[in-house]
Amino acid sequence: MLRHFPREVGEAFERLRTTGDAAALERVVHAVVQDHIPVQNRTPGIVLTPSTDLIDHLGFDSIAISELVFFFEDLFQVSISNDEILRVRTVGQLCAFVSEKLAAARKTAG
Amino acid sequence: MRSVAITGLGFITSIGNDRAAVSRSLREGLSGLARVEFLHNPRLSIRVAGTVKDFETDSPSWRDWRYPERYQLAREALRSLAPHGLYALCAVEQALADARLTAAELGDGATGLYCASAGSAFLMHHHLAQLHAVQGERGNPLGVVSAIAGTLNFNLAAHYHIRGAVGGFAAACASSTHALGCAVDEIRLGRQDRMVVVGAEEVNAETVLPFASMRALSTQADPRLASRPFDQGRDGFVAAGGAVCMIVEERGVAEARGASIYGFLRGWGQAADGHHVMMPRPDGAGLVDAMRRALRDAGVEPAGVDYVNAHATSTPAGDRSEAVAIQTVFGSHGPVVSSTKGLTGHPLSMSGIMEAAFCAVGLAEGFTPGNPCLVDPDPLCAGLNLPRATLPQAPRLILKNSSGFGGSNVSVVIGAA
Repeated sequence: MLRHFPREVGEAFERLRTTGDAAALERVVHAVVQDHIPVQNRTPGIVLTPSTDLIDHLGFDSIAISELVFFFEDLFQVSISNDEILRVRTVGQLCAFVSEKLAAARKTAG
Repeated sequence: MRSVAITGLGFITSIGNDRAAVSRSLREGLSGLARVEFLHNPRLSIRVAGTVKDFETDSPSWRDWRYPERYQLAREALRSLAPHGLYALCAVEQALADARLTAAELGDGATGLYCASAGSAFLMHHHLAQLHAVQGERGNPLGVVSAIAGTLNFNLAAHYHIRGAVGGFAAACASSTHALGCAVDEIRLGRQDRMVVVGAEEVNAETVLPFASMRALSTQADPRLASRPFDQGRDGFVAAGGAVCMIVEERGVAEARGASIYGFLRGWGQAADGHHVMMPRPDGAGLVDAMRRALRDAGVEPAGVDYVNAHATSTPAGDRSEAVAIQTVFGSHGPVVSSTKGLTGHPLSMSGIMEAAFCAVGLAEGFTPGNPCLVDPDPLCAGLNLPRATLPQAPRLILKNSSGFGGSNVSVVIGAA
């Protein structure tokens, strides 16, 4: 699923899967968010911070958010509920949410 | 009554991806059929298709698709499309440029959109397989709007911000001719000033092979022999894909903005066989009624028609039925008849609008398509005037036929500008 992303994103994904490395998780989440930013709101060199708001700053609409959620579901093989989606507004919250989801998935698998 | 002018065409077809290429293929008899191998299975008997060139859409992910660089398409446009939606978007862009209209003008409320496709069996299969694999726990949020019948109108209406009449037609191989006929009525009744009519289909295993299960497809391995409408050796149709867009406008609106006019849609008619879910009536009675209704609607006698663009797909029963119907309407000294599916294959829902657009090109450029793949005419079709080569003059009045499952028959009358 990440074959269209820069190579280091795929490498970060592998690190994340094997070690749960937080920096790797941030690299993957940021890359996926960048990829889903609506075209009209894309600015060259845009830097995502933990407080970057998906809707207010990046212009995500409901389709873009649902598309982003499904991408993560498919990438990490997890299911995300509507309630969980509504709790996430910022990039930082998204990183924390993905981290929690992966930890829960590892626990279930273990 | 308000007249309906053809002002813009766009083509992604097996015989060319723009008007110039399509025109050359029709004039010179260049085939769009090619060898294919579906599902990496060399044992399959279906080995020829009307392929879409310069596009790579084998993946269910739009991120993997490749298409000509001339089209600048944003991810927001691509993410909810099926492969045939991509073709359609490209065809509409061409038609807009051809009609010298801007995309913004389609959002004026006086413009509507009618589309025809069977949806994407390919994407539907992918999404449902994924859904089953996770026991229904998640699925692509864009799966429905990209895959079901209607995907063309959903996506194109949203992309171009169309606020007029929008709808889709599902009458199998008659669908886009239904769309065109109803678009004509929207304009003639004064409900819309302009209609965008689009037909599109995919040519992949999921769309094509179910027709092999019906024994409806040619099993010829030679692309030159596989699609031979009206020929004694025909053994089924050859599936094809692509998209065609036709923009039609009320005559006064078109003339006021100085549009170039290919020709006029003079009338249309439809009638069903009331006979069988798949097979046509052997006597062609439904198609006879459709043709007569179209001619009556256009206010012309059969003798005024000098070219019939046949639906003839190269199936034994279908071509025979249509030949009987044409001879019933026009008698023994009828007009020139040809089926361009010998060159293109049969793109299902899209065939009617594609062939109506071919007729428009012939009107504008001064030629009448022939039957270059016809070698040995079926004696049952012998009463038809079936020239092999393209004729170097335009017809004045054309009747374009389409037929679909359930015995739906539609005919459209197209006249010179």
